[in-house]
Amino acid sequence: MKVMLAMKPAAKWFIPIEAESIVPKNFLSGTDLLVWRGNRELRLDEVFSVSVEGDADRSEEVEVVLSGDTFRLKRVGEYMDGGTITVLGGIGMHCGNFMSGGTIEIHGNADGWLGREMAGGAIVCRGDAADYCASGYRGGRKGMTGGTVEVFGRAGDFLAESLAGGTVIVHGDAGDMPGAEMRGGTLVVNGNCSRPAANMKGGSCYVYGTAQRMIPTFRKIGTVQHEGRALIRFSGDLANRGKGNLFVKGYEYLD
Amino acid sequence: MTELLVKNACVIDPLRGINGETMDIAIRDGKIVEEVSDAAEVIDAHGMLTMPGGVDSHTHICGTKVNFGRYMSPEDMRAGRTPRRGAMHATSGYSVPTTYGNSYRYSVMGYTTLLEGAMAPLEARHTHEEFTYTPLQDTMANTLFDGNWAIMEAIRDGDTKRVAAIIAWTLSAVKGFGIKLTNPGGTEAWQWGKNVSCIRDPVPYFEVTPAEIIRSVVEANELLHLPHSVHLHCNNLGTPGNYSCTLGTFGLIPDLNEKRQTLYATHVQFHAYGGSDWKDFCSKSEPIARYVAMRPQIVMDMGQVMFGRTTTMTADGPMEFNLYRLHHEKWSNHDVELETGSGIIPVIYRRKNLVNSIMWAIGLELALLTENPWQCLLTTDNPNGAPFVKYPEIIGLLMSKKYRDAEFATIHPDTESRVPLPAIERELDWYEIAVMTRAGQAKALGIQDLGKGHLAPGADADVAIYPLRIDEVDPSAEYQKVIDGFSRTEYTIKRGRVVARRGECVVDGSNATFWVKPKVSENYDMGKDPDFIEKFDRYYTVRMSNYPVQEEYLARNRCIETEAEL
Repeated sequence: MKVMLAMKPAAKWFIPIEAESIVPKNFLSGTDLLVWRGNRELRLDEVFSVSVEGDADRSEEVEVVLSGDTFRLKRVGEYMDGGTITVLGGIGMHCGNFMSGGTIEIHGNADGWLGREMAGGAIVCRGDAADYCASGYRGGRKGMTGGTVEVFGRAGDFLAESLAGGTVIVHGDAGDMPGAEMRGGTLVVNGNCSRPAANMKGGSCYVYGTAQRMIPTFRKIGTVQHEGRALIRFSGDLANRGKGNLFVKGYEYLD
Repeated sequence: MTELLVKNACVIDPLRGINGETMDIAIRDGKIVEEVSDAAEVIDAHGMLTMPGGVDSHTHICGTKVNFGRYMSPEDMRAGRTPRRGAMHATSGYSVPTTYGNSYRYSVMGYTTLLEGAMAPLEARHTHEEFTYTPLQDTMANTLFDGNWAIMEAIRDGDTKRVAAIIAWTLSAVKGFGIKLTNPGGTEAWQWGKNVSCIRDPVPYFEVTPAEIIRSVVEANELLHLPHSVHLHCNNLGTPGNYSCTLGTFGLIPDLNEKRQTLYATHVQFHAYGGSDWKDFCSKSEPIARYVAMRPQIVMDMGQVMFGRTTTMTADGPMEFNLYRLHHEKWSNHDVELETGSGIIPVIYRRKNLVNSIMWAIGLELALLTENPWQCLLTTDNPNGAPFVKYPEIIGLLMSKKYRDAEFATIHPDTESRVPLPAIERELDWYEIAVMTRAGQAKALGIQDLGKGHLAPGADADVAIYPLRIDEVDPSAEYQKVIDGFSRTEYTIKRGRVVARRGECVVDGSNATFWVKPKVSENYDMGKDPDFIEKFDRYYTVRMSNYPVQEEYLARNRCIETEAEL
């Protein structure tokens, strides 16, 4: 089953829409769903041109395709457990919150909190991801616990904050504090980043570019070969009993 | 004139000695009266258990410390969220909910009067502002005097009357209700990076001991004729072997007041530990309960721990630092100038943890081993031992040996050799529960003469009607019914109005704050004492004239004037 949702042009396009109902599973019982625009609850077909092809018995067989100006559409794919969501443009904040299965593919950029606290499944973002990509939430002890997030562009600050499991790969640069408070899982940044893995308690963080403003509480251990690259290995943040592993291609301390 | 008649109520009202009598309760204009006219609105209670509104004599619900607990635990705000509904505002939070969250959840459980356990005098405004938004309960605030510089200097000079005068001025200025001592001397020592280990350690610089502070303040309390006694959080909280320190503290207390206790010892569960370290940690509830039974001048509350997530918050800064070193989680520490300090840490009490299991058992033992229920009141030191929403479960545990055994089977297996709980057969009855949750608490706070904690004509019309039939329910076997019944009143009546009905709060409400104003002679008016004024202006960051809480912070209030012997 393929569900096409094309965003209708709206006069007040700047008001965000909260669309946690856009999850493949929900389309098994029709398209009679509700979303919130500001403080008003609207039917799905008031916001989108909806068209459905084929049918499905399981959420794995459902593909949702979002098109149009979707950059203010929030919470798409929240608690998703199977199926596919394809976003042809950009997507708003909190896409894929708590997802446990299925795939989300975003062809444009993603706003903040992409894949927050996800437990499984896969998110691919072809553009850039904003701050708090694949992170935990305010005050929480554990962030993402499983699945994969792959960003082909750049990622913002606090990438994979409190990472506890799963894999996060960024092909471009990452911002400040990637992998802060991480306690498990794997974080790979292909470009440069600033202050990686602060206060880490476990897991592995790889920076294939330069780690700028390197945190002084990591102890340098030596050089290792990893997937054809020579990386410098540091042991995890001594401020937190030094249990994690940080690998960087190059690093510079703050003067 | 509004009138209300509650018919066919099965009343338990311990302060009047009423135990399960079926009677009618007449209410006019917010007070209990002998009878009402035929025009009165009628509520048929159908023989349901009816008691005075609940009183919590030690809880942390309002003020800077509580608010910092909210601030540092955004994850707690994600739990327990409810949307706006009818007269109810939206709420959030579990262990440190929003003020409306506290107020609604207490009201649904039948509570109508709350005592905030620790208000730093300098930060009193915040507490009073939050009281205003705790609309369905009357409130009062215990005021912290544990590390007050002026008081410690007066104690060093041996001048108990001056201690009383400083307390009188401060209570009137900050609109406080009673005296709270939290780890007396210890919070001041903490400002020097130290602590006191028990009552005989001198406080740095001031060279007074906790024992001297406790004795002087207890005497000063009686000189001022305050309604409540000194409210004490003993030294050395939460360390193995601290029970001997607790017993030593209790031994200091003379019997000075005929109407009520002379010392209210709070959350004694945290002070009843045996052993020399965490490895041989064990319960010492038996000696504590025996000692208290021999001394009518002491009333304690349980400070029961229940398993799950919560937040610990106390003015006992050094204790929270020790806790931080155990948990390595978030920690907040705060210094309140010349007065006190505080610390906050979120914790999770686990069944699989031996220490936590023993703590759980100790609270219950204190309640079960204390023969006289007026001497051991039901609290969790909310939220330190558990959020107050766990009270119904605690009532279930106290009333049912079967429930205790079922729970005991789920906790750490080594607990059995460390605690006397499995051997205790006692099951509390409805009357004893009523004492521990309202009558005893009102008596201990000294507010029964103000019309709290009982249903005699003239009393405030605060009534809780629970959907329980005490002749049909066997609490020992049907503990789940007891828990459900105490979790949700059929009606909660506050000041003569139904405020909660079957789990829904139905009115906006308006809070009243009780505070005391001891009248002292001209010579003991600290507002005119040159030495006090000079030190105040020299060491505080605020001017003395800006320190008192203005009347506008108290929306509706009741000032209790006492005649001090000064």
